[in-house]
Amino acid sequence: MKSSLTEGAARAQLPAALPEGNSDGTSNGKKDSKQDGKLSLFRLLLKDRFATVSALVLILIGLTALIGPALMGDLATKQNLLFANKAPFTFAHGWEYFLGSDSLGRSMLARLVVASRTTFSVALPAVAVALIVGSLWGVWAGYHRGWRENVSMRIADVIMSFPSLLLAVVVLYVFSPSSANIVLILALTRIPIYLRTARAESAELQSRTFVDAARTFGAKPNAIIVRHVIPVVLPTLLTLATLECCYVMLAESSLSFLGIGIQPPDVSWGLMVSQGRQYLQTAWWLSIFPGVAIVVTTIAANVLAAWLRIATDPAQRWRLALPRKRLIARIPAKETQP
Amino acid sequence: MLIYLRKRIASSALPLMVVIVGVFALARMTGNPASLYLPLNATQQMRDAFSARNGLDQPLPVQMADYFGGVLRLDFGQSLRTGQDAAAMALRAFPATLQLAATTMVLAILLALVVGCWAALKPNGIADRISSFVSMAAASIPDFWLAIVGIWVFAITLGWLPTSGVSGAGAWVLPIATLLLRPFGVLVQIVRGSMVSALSEPYIKLARSRGAGELRVVTHHALRNAAAPALTVAGDLTVGLVNGAVVVETIFGWPGIGKLMIDSILQRDFAVLQAAVLLTAVAIFALNILIDMGYALLDARVRPVTVKA
Amino acid sequence: MTSSSKLPFSAGLLRWPALASVAVLGLSGCSVANSDAGAASSSTVRVVLAQEPPTLEACESNLTSTGVVVRSNVTEPLIERNPQSGELEPKLATEWKATTDREWTLKLREGVKFQDGTPFNAEAAAFTIERAVNSKLGCNVEGYVFGDADLAVKAVNATTLTVTTPEPDPILPLRLSFLEVVPTSTSATEKVREPIGTGPYKIEKWDAGQKITLSSWDGYWGAKPAYAKAEYQWRSESSVRAAMITSGEADVAMGLSPDDNIGDLGVDYPNNETVALRLDANEAPLSDIRVRQAINFAIDKEGIVNSLYQGKHQVAAQLVPKGIVGHNDALKGWPFDLDKAKSLVAEAKADGVDTSAQISLVVRSAQFPKITELGQVLQEQLSQAGLNVKLKMLETSQHLTYQVRPFAKDEGAVALMTQHGNQAGDAAFTVDQYMLSTGAQSYFGTPEFDAMIKKADAASGDERKKDFEEIFAYQNDKVVQFAHISHQTGIIGKAKSVNYTPNSSSGDELRVSEMTPAS
Repeated sequence: MKSSLTEGAARAQLPAALPEGNSDGTSNGKKDSKQDGKLSLFRLLLKDRFATVSALVLILIGLTALIGPALMGDLATKQNLLFANKAPFTFAHGWEYFLGSDSLGRSMLARLVVASRTTFSVALPAVAVALIVGSLWGVWAGYHRGWRENVSMRIADVIMSFPSLLLAVVVLYVFSPSSANIVLILALTRIPIYLRTARAESAELQSRTFVDAARTFGAKPNAIIVRHVIPVVLPTLLTLATLECCYVMLAESSLSFLGIGIQPPDVSWGLMVSQGRQYLQTAWWLSIFPGVAIVVTTIAANVLAAWLRIATDPAQRWRLALPRKRLIARIPAKETQP
Repeated sequence: MLIYLRKRIASSALPLMVVIVGVFALARMTGNPASLYLPLNATQQMRDAFSARNGLDQPLPVQMADYFGGVLRLDFGQSLRTGQDAAAMALRAFPATLQLAATTMVLAILLALVVGCWAALKPNGIADRISSFVSMAAASIPDFWLAIVGIWVFAITLGWLPTSGVSGAGAWVLPIATLLLRPFGVLVQIVRGSMVSALSEPYIKLARSRGAGELRVVTHHALRNAAAPALTVAGDLTVGLVNGAVVVETIFGWPGIGKLMIDSILQRDFAVLQAAVLLTAVAIFALNILIDMGYALLDARVRPVTVKA
Repeated sequence: MTSSSKLPFSAGLLRWPALASVAVLGLSGCSVANSDAGAASSSTVRVVLAQEPPTLEACESNLTSTGVVVRSNVTEPLIERNPQSGELEPKLATEWKATTDREWTLKLREGVKFQDGTPFNAEAAAFTIERAVNSKLGCNVEGYVFGDADLAVKAVNATTLTVTTPEPDPILPLRLSFLEVVPTSTSATEKVREPIGTGPYKIEKWDAGQKITLSSWDGYWGAKPAYAKAEYQWRSESSVRAAMITSGEADVAMGLSPDDNIGDLGVDYPNNETVALRLDANEAPLSDIRVRQAINFAIDKEGIVNSLYQGKHQVAAQLVPKGIVGHNDALKGWPFDLDKAKSLVAEAKADGVDTSAQISLVVRSAQFPKITELGQVLQEQLSQAGLNVKLKMLETSQHLTYQVRPFAKDEGAVALMTQHGNQAGDAAFTVDQYMLSTGAQSYFGTPEFDAMIKKADAASGDERKKDFEEIFAYQNDKVVQFAHISHQTGIIGKAKSVNYTPNSSSGDELRVSEMTPAS
């Protein structure tokens, strides 16, 4: 009984789930968008300026993280104590100091670039691990229901009420403060989010006719989960994962603030914000630039995720297909419809 | 409902035990606190005496049995750091965090409902764009950074608010504003999303066709359905606040449970850590139960499912 | 339509948040919100510390966070060390002398009362020593100042006390200056969070987590202090402490960083802390003295002091700053000579030392301002000299496993960043711990060096001074366990409304009676 109560709760974890949950055509929707193919999705993207810009920003940041560190060489670690805290936005000291220098005279630009890789190499694996473990577990628990579901939900409760700070200290103490270990902590603490969402979706799906049909034809539970449940649940979970990237970046930065996150000489955006905070009054750029990097990345990812959510949902998709002017004109018309 | 409540409470006991056992074991993996509490040049005898005095020389299962024996007698042990009763310290710190978290969430929900509905009336309109941009930005700013900038701007430059502390109503503003942003940012998007889809549902069209006013449509029909997900997400965010007020409490000198927890972790003050974790875990479990019940009350749609299960 | 749709609430939906708000408001009335805003008044001085004192127990007052509130405010010692001159001065004892080589006789001040009204006498002094040094209480001051030695104490009469040490101890009076005197009514079996003392202030109220208030005590034997009350709060961010001075919420702020940028409200003072790298000679490549010398040559101390600390610190050549008995004025910091460092490393390599073995540079996060930056600078500079250095930033407890015996094992070569503060004023407190081959914070020593230290410990007067000076020179020439970096300068934030001149002991013993309102 209890499980059905949380079901709705977990589904409501994210807005993405709602259109699909409300309109019964979730599964059909996915098929439709697949038939349309990638090209039309791309055209739709170009129609939405905000989404296009977001996509470009993300691609740019992704490329930076991928190849930037190699281009920067040792610029990010080259210190010059006589050249500390130089103000940004001037080419007087060469392009590498366009964003100023940090408290040890290192190029802010180079450090931001190198930090982007660390930031993503923490955020993406943490989200990926939590997503995979949490989703599979949740789908499995939701499909089978009964004690498996109950035990899983109680485990999620346990993880959620466990202080992640303690985990961080334990990991730092027993292992070493590497980014791999930060990934471990963040992944572990975020598993319940996916677990709860996936379980709710899957619990609802397992009672649907197409799953029933598969069952009557003698398909094994695991095969049904893989073939019928996961494909339907996946878009919701992926959208959730996009939102979670932001949370994980912030969590990593909070750990740095408390002194138990990424440790120098490694550098991440979160660590840069945290280390730069003491210079807020003397050299604001040390913490503002990495902060802006986090905010821009998050907004871009969110805008794109929101767009993708609509674009893959047949009940909403017409909004994107319409030319902008007609779209705006249409809504009031709809509202005043008697 | 009462049966359900009883069942939920009963089924929470074991997970709570697991939390405590986990904290107990993990905390002891972080090393013997002797070096932290003894002078740097303490001899081995002094270290041994310290361990014996605090029962740290026993094997882990024995320590744990002792601890649970104590818990049954409501004895949660003594703080290594202050020598005070651990449970008393946790209970003293908890209301401060609870007040902060509750005020923050109430404000976040109210603000998010207004902004979210406003945005949902014209999907992709100007209001929608602005509010989603603002809410996403709000949700992605590092909180400690915001807190320090807030102090700088509002306490030092403008002089409107105190920098920190707990004295006076003004002292609440910055901590709450700092804590508020993320829940607000997330909730706006939730409310907006569910309002947009609720407003395009057939029953809304039906209500409109029956001549219901727009205000009535929004508040009575759409919002009622959109509020349920907002409530549940708000619940999850509250759990995050209770656990995560550490940063804000650290910066503003707010004497709450988050600060107590991080201090006792860093100071290896095991008894206090366990008491604080137990208290927050109980609160979180209770909150989860309340959320589920609230959800069931608010959203009539899940009731048939309830019967089925 | 548009205007009305902006108020999308129904009464039913408002009910929940409204109920919650009421509950919240109800709650806020009770525990946290204190309505007194601690307004600036000339009769109260408001101090903001870096952390809440764990306890105010007198026998733990050598802990910085406890001592800064208790010492010389609530409780007083028998003998007091003048932080400026380094001389011992009478406090609750008026005179003292060595009657034999192991026995000291102290004459106590008359007419002094404890804050509970009981008289201060030899019995109380004897009780204090017994309680802190000889009992099973496990007082911090016992381990820090007295070690294993038990003292024999005897109250000869009401105003005369004799103290006998197991071994001759020429600096017993200095050690006694760490003991804060408590009345015999104090528990001898439990630590006491709020002690009673003979000081000018008594503890009025401790709002755990928020504030400690001291109020001046009318029965004090000495001059009445200028401030009627002292309020202590604590904030862990130094920028917030600085902000409280700027915004007028506090009068004195401890432990600020040069980048908190509070201009002329910041007052510099020498805080007696010295930063150095401690090198573990038990592991290659640090086992070779040339590598340890190379590290000394490779560190650009001038650059660090000038750039990171805005020229406020001094380049260090030894573990104790000027003003400590035994400080060797003739020693100069190792010159910054990267070529020399490189050639020393190359020489060691040619002789078969594995100079590519990893050296862990172990640093405690947040130990002092800009320590993270310093760690990164050192890593870079040592790498320049051709060494393989890995920076390890650790939290306090973990750092301690590297800092004190028994040292963490199987860690390879360790260069540990240590911040040493000698608050006693005598080099013995430094040398015994850091340089004896069995010292709690020493990796190694030599028999010859140990003998020099033992000799200095037992010496007194000018000879003692000379012996310790030789020890510091010898460490730099022959032992090289340390690569000294700088003697630090602390910053106290001070509002214009308060007159106070910090000194080298202000961080451990902030005497409110030395503060006066500026008007």
